Amino acid sequence: MFTPQRGSGKLARKAMPPDATASPAQAERTAFTGRDLRKIYVTGETEVHALRGVDFDIRKGEILVLLGPSGSGKSTLLNIVGGLDRATSGSLHYEDTELSALDDADLTRFRRAQIGFIFQFYNLIPSLTAEENVRLVTDIADDPMDPGEALALVGLAERRHHYPAQLSGGEQQRVAVARAIAKQPGVLLCDEPTGALDSQTGVRVLETLEAANRELDTTLLIITHNAGIAAMADRVFHFLDGTIARIETNERRISPAEISW
Amino acid sequence: MKALDLKLVRDLWRMRGQALAIAIVLAAASATFILSMGVHRSLYETREAYYAQNNFGDVFSSMTRAPRSVVDEVAQIEGVQQAQGSILQYAILDFPDRSEAVRALLQSVDERGRDRLDRVTLKAGRMPMPGQPGEVVADEAFALANEVGPGDEFDAIIYGRMQRLRVVGIGLAPNYVNALAPGDIVPDDTRFGVFWMGEEALEAATDRTEAINALSVKLQRGASEADVIRAIDRILAPYGGAGAYTREDHPSHAFLESELDQLEAMVQVIPPIFLIVSTFLVYVVLGRMIRTQRSLIGLLKAFGYSGLAIAWHYLKFALAIALLATALGAAAGIWMGRAMTELYGEYYHFPFLRFHFAPGVFLSAGALAMGSAALGAVSGVWSAARLTPAVAMSPPPPPVYRAGFVERVGEKAGFTAIGHMIVRHIARWPTRSAMTVGGVGLSIALLFATLSFIDSSNYMLSSYFFRSQQQDLSVTFTEARNEDVLFELAQMPGVLRVEPVRALPVEMSHANRVERTALEAIAPDAMLSARIDQDGNLIAMPPGGLMLSRQLASQLGVRPGDNVRVKMLGGRRTEAMLPVGAMVDEFIGARAYASQDTLDTLARDSAPVGAALLLIDPAHRDDILAALKAMPVVLSIGDRDLEMARFQEMIDGNINTMIIFYIAFASAIAVGVVYNGARILFSERAHELATLRVLGYHRREVAVVLIGEIALLVAISVPVGLLMGYALAQFMLHMFGSDLFRLPFAPADATYAKAALVVLAAAMLTAVTVARRVMRLDMVRVLKARE
Ligand SMILES: Nc1ncnc2c1ncn2[C@@H]1O[C@H](COP(=O)(O)OP(=O)(O)OP(=O)(O)O)[C@@H](O)[C@H]1O
Ligand SMILES: [Mg+2]
Repeated sequence: MFTPQRGSGKLARKAMPPDATASPAQAERTAFTGRDLRKIYVTGETEVHALRGVDFDIRKGEILVLLGPSGSGKSTLLNIVGGLDRATSGSLHYEDTELSALDDADLTRFRRAQIGFIFQFYNLIPSLTAEENVRLVTDIADDPMDPGEALALVGLAERRHHYPAQLSGGEQQRVAVARAIAKQPGVLLCDEPTGALDSQTGVRVLETLEAANRELDTTLLIITHNAGIAAMADRVFHFLDGTIARIETNERRISPAEISW
Repeated sequence: MKALDLKLVRDLWRMRGQALAIAIVLAAASATFILSMGVHRSLYETREAYYAQNNFGDVFSSMTRAPRSVVDEVAQIEGVQQAQGSILQYAILDFPDRSEAVRALLQSVDERGRDRLDRVTLKAGRMPMPGQPGEVVADEAFALANEVGPGDEFDAIIYGRMQRLRVVGIGLAPNYVNALAPGDIVPDDTRFGVFWMGEEALEAATDRTEAINALSVKLQRGASEADVIRAIDRILAPYGGAGAYTREDHPSHAFLESELDQLEAMVQVIPPIFLIVSTFLVYVVLGRMIRTQRSLIGLLKAFGYSGLAIAWHYLKFALAIALLATALGAAAGIWMGRAMTELYGEYYHFPFLRFHFAPGVFLSAGALAMGSAALGAVSGVWSAARLTPAVAMSPPPPPVYRAGFVERVGEKAGFTAIGHMIVRHIARWPTRSAMTVGGVGLSIALLFATLSFIDSSNYMLSSYFFRSQQQDLSVTFTEARNEDVLFELAQMPGVLRVEPVRALPVEMSHANRVERTALEAIAPDAMLSARIDQDGNLIAMPPGGLMLSRQLASQLGVRPGDNVRVKMLGGRRTEAMLPVGAMVDEFIGARAYASQDTLDTLARDSAPVGAALLLIDPAHRDDILAALKAMPVVLSIGDRDLEMARFQEMIDGNINTMIIFYIAFASAIAVGVVYNGARILFSERAHELATLRVLGYHRREVAVVLIGEIALLVAISVPVGLLMGYALAQFMLHMFGSDLFRLPFAPADATYAKAALVVLAAAMLTAVTVARRVMRLDMVRVLKARE
């Protein structure tokens, strides 16, 4: 009765073949390419330059941590990369698709097919149980996991019939993670996923994210204020005043359990 | 302005759409209240002033012929203040260029201006003068309709003799506020009018020197009507007195009275519907507003504002809406009231009729609006006043959701997560959901009731003209005739069948109920005058018994098998107890029938022929009409098809305006309810909707959450509304029916569909308008805020 239309937009079919054998190694490896991305917020008289021309390449399957002071443009970039917002100028590609050229409907299809989001506040639907919150995504995804399986991955199989109000903050965040990974997304975008959690719970959430990266080869972007988390990344983008001031490459990723909180 | 008041103004402005939607529904309450109360007052007060100014009588009687001296005798009766005798005579006017007969009722007036009762108000010219036999005053409506004025002359057949009449004045009188030609059910000023003629002149014209046939009596304050009537009947008995009656049975007054009753009924039925819906809207909107401003209320209290100050602050929000509504409603009410009063002016003849601006009516309307807004505000305001700062500033407890019965069914039917969201939200707010269903349902009910009113009129009409009236033409004679006239009519080429109409004025009583009516005879071989039931079958005339219209039966409180006392008014004044043998569904008039034998027995004579029913060959129609018009004994010719067309025209004219009003009113309710429901829904769920967008749902899929919930509620309200409409329609028909007619409840199939579709359309258009906000939803901004 309420079945939403299944997304099978041209982007979902055309630009994201499950095994792009025709693509050279370059395309295999690069998820996002950003060139001279700028974002200017105009509110009345004042202009806020949230991004002042950033360039980056994000490799498929890497874990990237975004660090930087408050207001330096991390969320802005994440939202643009995830197709929630648009850059004022510059170009942004996901694989072969130019995101900066897509209209709203195509951006939506892109999100639906490729992106999983996790926010500091879990943004669960309070009227839906844990499992149903996951089903929100599996209902419309092309090749989703079983919702129960996704919940099992975050260790909440037993709590599937509980409503968000009956779950702790950490559990809620894990439901949000299950919801994000259930569609087996190409990219997981996490804006301060552990910001509202204690260290132990935070570690659990990060472990789940890392597992997704390892098992599904999901590209992982994590914004955090916790510099310790940077150690689990392949690379770290250091933001400063709307620019990526420095890119740091870790020789070795450590597991979340080893993070000094 | 104080800071808190500034906040009030800003809140009102921010929520202007919702405030306006409530104000419009509330304004509809004020408007309909002011309209019906205002028109009622205008009509009532105008009538009372007119009656007082022109000294309209209290008790009336007609008789065959009485010496003028009976007037003094009647004046001596205890309780009688004044009595006045006059002559009433039907006449045929000769307007050569008119194909249809133009008829007049001549009413005598004293040429020397000594009349005290039922006085004429002159609009132009003067009254007839002594020694000028042909002078008449024409009634204003007739004069306007036929462009007749002082100085105009025409011939008239009065009492079988041709006489020249000369119009010397234009006037009107309180006993003819509404004047119907005999046999008509709709006034027609072009074909019928009242003329006032000098008493001496009319005496001479009708061979009634020093004699009268009508009496009007003014009672002293506190006099017993019943006693006076009995005394008058006794005095007039030897002169063929037809039974005295009060204003309630005076045709002109009775018509006005039924109109006033209907207006009063309207006040009781229509505005309350709008008031109920507005109360609910205020309840929902203010309740939501106070919930969202919870922490702010806590802050204000922490600053030292008292609970009373907070309560007053939110109450003012509701009262401001009511104030706006009263202003809007007053403007609309005055406008509609003027239009309606003007319409009344066409049907009722008053020297002046203006819409009355009674301050009391406006104050009452305002008080009602304030009252229902305040009532709706009570629970929200109370909770705001009671909140303690500490509780207020902590976030509200998370809402508790549960999977209900519907969902366990839905689970099997393959509900999506979105489906669950919709159903659980409805269940989470049961009061509000029920109120939405009730509100939209009421708008369907209102529309259904109004539209079925029209169905009823049409049903009544077709029943009256096609079932009760089998003849093509009905011919009313100037005086009661014997059977010879029937043969004369039957001789006319093209006349296929002639049947007499014989009727006796009677008074029927059962227990303590008394009704005056005409008892009509139905001959055994009757075809045209035979009564037919709703399925088109002939109703057998019970031998020796009565057949009553359902209306009359209910007025008398009798059922088949009961005995009714029938007293002949006039003539031999015989009495008999007759059993009710059958009922007939008739919607106009309260009539009674008996077999011709029964009637003859009652009259102790062959009942006179007052009219005849004709079935004709349509090819001869014009010839027959011309021949009838030339017959001096023919007073009037009723042409069924023509009358039906006129009636239909009258109904259509009034009803189209009414339909437009009520479609607007019903839509206003639906729009008000749905708009507020959708706005609240949207504000409550903005966060969730943004989340869905982030998860990759398209705008239209997200809009489903919003529209789906409303659509579900509106869908539920359709059967609920039709059920309420069913009850409301019958209640309204009951309230609006009168002694003069009864409206059958006979909704057309299309009425169900129309009522539902209009409201559905209004509701869904509104929902879609609000859903367009989904398009402008800023995902990022919404997600930044913690819900
Ligand atoms: N909708 C908006 N309108 C105006 N300015 C905005 C808007 N959103 C963000 N900004 C500004 O853009 C700049 C970058 O904001 P952004 O949210 O990207 O910062 P951030 O690095 O995520 O900070 P934080 O660590 O505090 O979350 C800030 O100065 C912010 O004030
Ligand atoms: Mg941020």
